[in-house]
Amino acid sequence: MSVDPEFETLVKLYYQDLYRFGFSLTRNEADACDLTQETFYIWANKGHQLKDLGKVKGWLFTTLHREFLQMSRRQERFTDEPISDVVQDFPQVSADVVNRIDAQTMLKVLGQIDEGYRAPLVLYYSEDLSYKEIADVLEIPLGTVQSRIARGKMHLFQLLTETHHSSCQST
Amino acid sequence: MNTSEAKERLLLYRGPIDDADPQFQEALAHARRDPELAEWVREQRKSYDTIRSKLREIEPPSDLAEKIIRKRPIPFRRGWTQILKLAAAIIISASITAVSLKLWQRESHRLVQGKEIVVKGEVLDMTCYIAYNMSGPEHAGCARDCIKRGLPVGIKATDGKVYLLVGTNWRRRESLNSQLAEYAAKTVTIRGKETMRDGFAQLQVEEIRKS
Repeated sequence: MSVDPEFETLVKLYYQDLYRFGFSLTRNEADACDLTQETFYIWANKGHQLKDLGKVKGWLFTTLHREFLQMSRRQERFTDEPISDVVQDFPQVSADVVNRIDAQTMLKVLGQIDEGYRAPLVLYYSEDLSYKEIADVLEIPLGTVQSRIARGKMHLFQLLTETHHSSCQST
Repeated sequence: MNTSEAKERLLLYRGPIDDADPQFQEALAHARRDPELAEWVREQRKSYDTIRSKLREIEPPSDLAEKIIRKRPIPFRRGWTQILKLAAAIIISASITAVSLKLWQRESHRLVQGKEIVVKGEVLDMTCYIAYNMSGPEHAGCARDCIKRGLPVGIKATDGKVYLLVGTNWRRRESLNSQLAEYAAKTVTIRGKETMRDGFAQLQVEEIRKS
């Protein structure tokens, strides 16, 4: 089969970001590879429908997320609380604490956060997407995205603090 | 805007990537005036950067990109224009195939049926004629024996064209040979159907008349 240079360029440009997102969602290497692969194959067949090529990255992330939802067949409802409610209980986690945690533990901690919060949180941290773009990728309203990131962040900080405390106790 | 409201806004602030976002402008201005809030923002940003770098440490398997590129499906773009073009191409090629098949069938049918002709000429023992160029009255005895024995029999028309005389099966050929043996090297008239086999003229005998 001949290689399509455009397709190859696109794969090389985004496969790492997509894999990272897929891995954060599934916490499984094989599933993340499948999701990444499937996303590019959907692009190969339907990508021409995208008129604005500047939105390729968002399109790929949306597709991967849709595939993930289809894969997990989980459509849970979340209570989207206002950010002001979150701020009051927000734990402070220092960069030093985070630094002592390795990437695998970070993923493990992220995995404990519900998918509805995890997906926006991973996009918030890993990708250079605006809130509007994150909302477009996940196909949820902007306000919901911000509220989920705030709540997910709070949950993450709580878990990181707990992880840090338990590792201190064990040493 | 008070400090608590500014914190609420800046909770999601990531640094330069969000600088252009108007929702952070007022809160950032407030942080510039409030050192305690500014310190809180710095600490937030530091932990954001650290978490980000940890997450970006995740690396896909080294062969993933190559695998995706190698197994790329051939896209089938279902635009109406393409579908119509494809349908037209299928119809045209199916029509051409059907017409060619019909013509070929007609041609083969014609070949099997043959063209009916009447040939007047000398009965030949084809083995001696082809191998040794022997024919004519001086060869009549040999030719009769060969034809009787079932060797191929032919006719050389007055225009010089030679036909291999055949029947529809070997029994008829036997019969044909025994009928023609007595006319070896003599002139007869044969009505039959002319066919070609590998460029060689054959005459499927239907009637033999003494000339």
